[in-house]
Amino acid sequence: MRLLLVEDEPDIQSFLKSSLSEAGYQVEAAADGKSASQLAVDGQFDILIVDLGLPDQDGISLILKLRQLGVSAPVLILSARRSVDDRVRGLEQGGDDYLTKPFALAELLARLRNLLKRNSPPGSEATRLRVLDLELDLLRREATRAGQLLQLTPQEFVLLEYLCRNAGRVVTRSMILDQVWGMRIQPDTNVVDVHIYRLRGKVDGLGQQPLIRTLRGVGYVLKDR
Amino acid sequence: MFSKTAKPAIHSAAWRISLWATLAFACGTMLVFVFLHRFVADDIQRRSDAWLSGEVEVLGDVAERTPKNSLYDRVVGEVAELAGKEVPNKLLSESNSNDSVFFLQTSGDGSLQLWVGAGNGAPNLKAIQAIKIVSDHPTDLHVQGFGVPFRVASIRLDDGSYIYLGLSERDELRVLRSLRLRFFLLWLLLVLFGFGIVFFTTWRMLSHVREIAEAASRIGHSDLTARVPTTKRNDEVSHLALTLNRMLDRIESSMHQLHTITDSLAHDLRSPLTAIRGKLEMSLSAAMQVEQAESIVSAIEELDRLTDFLNKSLDVAEAKADALRLNLAPLNLDELLRIMIELYEPSMSEKGLQIRLHSRGSFIIEADSALIHRMIANLLDNELKHVPESCVVNLQLQVENDAALLILEDDGPGFDPEISPHLFERRVKGRDSNGHGLGLAFIDAVARAHGGTARASNRKEGGAQIVVTLPLASV
Repeated sequence: MRLLLVEDEPDIQSFLKSSLSEAGYQVEAAADGKSASQLAVDGQFDILIVDLGLPDQDGISLILKLRQLGVSAPVLILSARRSVDDRVRGLEQGGDDYLTKPFALAELLARLRNLLKRNSPPGSEATRLRVLDLELDLLRREATRAGQLLQLTPQEFVLLEYLCRNAGRVVTRSMILDQVWGMRIQPDTNVVDVHIYRLRGKVDGLGQQPLIRTLRGVGYVLKDR
Repeated sequence: MFSKTAKPAIHSAAWRISLWATLAFACGTMLVFVFLHRFVADDIQRRSDAWLSGEVEVLGDVAERTPKNSLYDRVVGEVAELAGKEVPNKLLSESNSNDSVFFLQTSGDGSLQLWVGAGNGAPNLKAIQAIKIVSDHPTDLHVQGFGVPFRVASIRLDDGSYIYLGLSERDELRVLRSLRLRFFLLWLLLVLFGFGIVFFTTWRMLSHVREIAEAASRIGHSDLTARVPTTKRNDEVSHLALTLNRMLDRIESSMHQLHTITDSLAHDLRSPLTAIRGKLEMSLSAAMQVEQAESIVSAIEELDRLTDFLNKSLDVAEAKADALRLNLAPLNLDELLRIMIELYEPSMSEKGLQIRLHSRGSFIIEADSALIHRMIANLLDNELKHVPESCVVNLQLQVENDAALLILEDDGPGFDPEISPHLFERRVKGRDSNGHGLGLAFIDAVARAHGGTARASNRKEGGAQIVVTLPLASV
C-alpha cells in the first residue's frame, strides 16, 4: 500500500512515518501543499493523510485541487481545529474521513483500513464471521463459542461484531463509541469498559481461552491467534 | 412591506400612537369648536336682543302716539305684524302663520289688551306674569305649549300698560344646530383622515423598525455575517440600522479574533500533544517490561484527560462569549437519550445505581449533535461520579412552551450548598470532587449556545436536579 503523508509538524511526521511503515505502508511524506500535489500526481498512491493546517495552503483546498487533478485515492484528514467545520463534513460524505488531534495510533490505522476497504471493489459481503472458535451469524444475529450459543443483547452483538471485524487489531474506546454507538464523545468514566467486561463474561466462559484482551491506556483487542 | 409574520395591527405600536394622537387631536378640535360655538351663540343672541329692544321701543312709540280709539288695535297690530316679518336669522317657515314672534299689550290692571301672534295669547300672558320682566332687558320666557323658549323685551307706556315683544329662539337654535351638525361631520372626517395619516406614517416607520428587529433576531449565535436592512433616508430609523450594523461589525471582528485565538491555541497545544502521544504509543508497542509499560500507559491516560480538559475549556470559553460554532442539524432527543442510557446503564448498575427514562415521545431539536452528545455524556458522567450507590437517577424528557425539557434528578446528597450559587461557573466543584470543575459550565455553555438554558438546584426531597431546556426545531 502506497501512502502519502502531508504533515508539516516534523515531530508528528516522523512518528507517523515510522509507525505507518511498521504497519506495512510504503510512506512518502510532504511538508507543504506544493510538494504534496507534485508527489500525489506523480506517484500512484492508494491513500492520503492530509493535515488541515499546512504552511502554504489550507488542507481542504489542497484536497479539492488534488481531486481536480484526478487523484481519486481516499483521504484521511487530520485536524487540530476543535470544531469540525462544514467543509470537512462535506468531504466526509464524499468518502473521506477525518480525525482530530491528538489521536490514538490504533484509531488512525483502523480508519485507514476502513477507507481502503470502502474504496476496494465490493466483494461478496460475508454473512458469517469466524475468529478461532467464535462464530457470528450476521443474518440471524447469533453468536456461538465452541458450538455453544451465547446469550447476547442486540447491542452486545454489534459490539462483538465490531471486535471480530477488527480481530487481531487494537480498537480504542473512542473507536468503539464512534462505530458501535455512533457518537464521538470522550467520557471520563468507565462506560465502555463495563460493556466490554460484560461481553467478556459471556464470551470468555470458564475454562476457555480468553479472547478479549485489554491493553491499558490503548484499548482492546480480540485475539485471533 | 407588510410582513406576513407581523402581528395584527391592533398590537402594533402604530395603532396605539395613532389612537392617542387622534384622541388628542379630536379633543383639541372639539374644545376649539365649543368656544367658537359659544361665541356664535352669544353673537346671535346679542343681535336678536338688539333687534328686540329697538323694535319694542318703536312699537311703544307707535302705541303712545296712536289715539286710543277703535282703530288703535288695528294700527298697532299691523305695525307689530310688520315688525314680525323683519325678524333676524329668519328661516323660511313652512306655515303662513307667523308663530315665531308675538306682540302683547297688557292694560294697567294686567289684563290682555292687545295680542298679535299665534294662538290667543293666554299662555304667554300667564308665563309673563309668572316671571318679572325688566324693561329694556330681554329675558328668556318659557311658554306652555311651545318647545322652544321666547326672548321677550318689554316697555312700559305712560298709561301704565306694558308692551311685550317676544321672539322665538327657534330660528336661532336651528342655525346653531345646523352649525353643530356641519361641524360634527367635518370633525368626524378630519379625525378619521388624521387617524389614517398618523397610522400610515407610524406604521411605515415602525415597519422599518420591525424589519430591523426581525433581521437582528435572525442574526443568531453562529451567524454573524448577516446585517440588518438599511434605508437611504437620513432619519432616526436608518441611524438605528446603521448603528446596529456597525455594532455587528465590531462583534463579528472580535468574535473572529476570539476564534483565531482559540484555534491557534488549540492548534499549538494539540500538535505537541499529538507528537507526545504518538511517541508514547510507539514506545509502548515495543516489547518492554510491565512496570515501564504501566508508567507510559498512565502518561497516555493523563494526556487524554488533558486533551479533554483543553477541549472543554475552549468550548466553555467560546460559549461564555456566545461564540460557540455550531453545525446544526435535526436531532431526535428521545432516540439519543435511549442510546445514551443504553450506553451508561451497565456502568450505573455496576455501581448500584438505577437509571430510568420517562419520555413523552420523539422531540426534534435543531442542534449540533456532537455538542449535545458530549453534553448528555457529561450529565451522566457527573451522576456516575458523584451519586452514591443504591440511588435512583430519573431522566425526564418533556415539552414546554416550544422547548424540549430535559430533567435529570437523583436522590443522592445533592449539590454542596456552599457552591450552589456558583454551579455553572468555571472551576467550581465540590470539595470531594476530583474533576476539573468544567462539567456543569460545559452543560450550561452548550444549552446557551443552542438558545436554551440550564438550571441546577437541590430538590426539597433531597438530591440534585438539573433542568436543561433546548428550543424545539420549528416545523
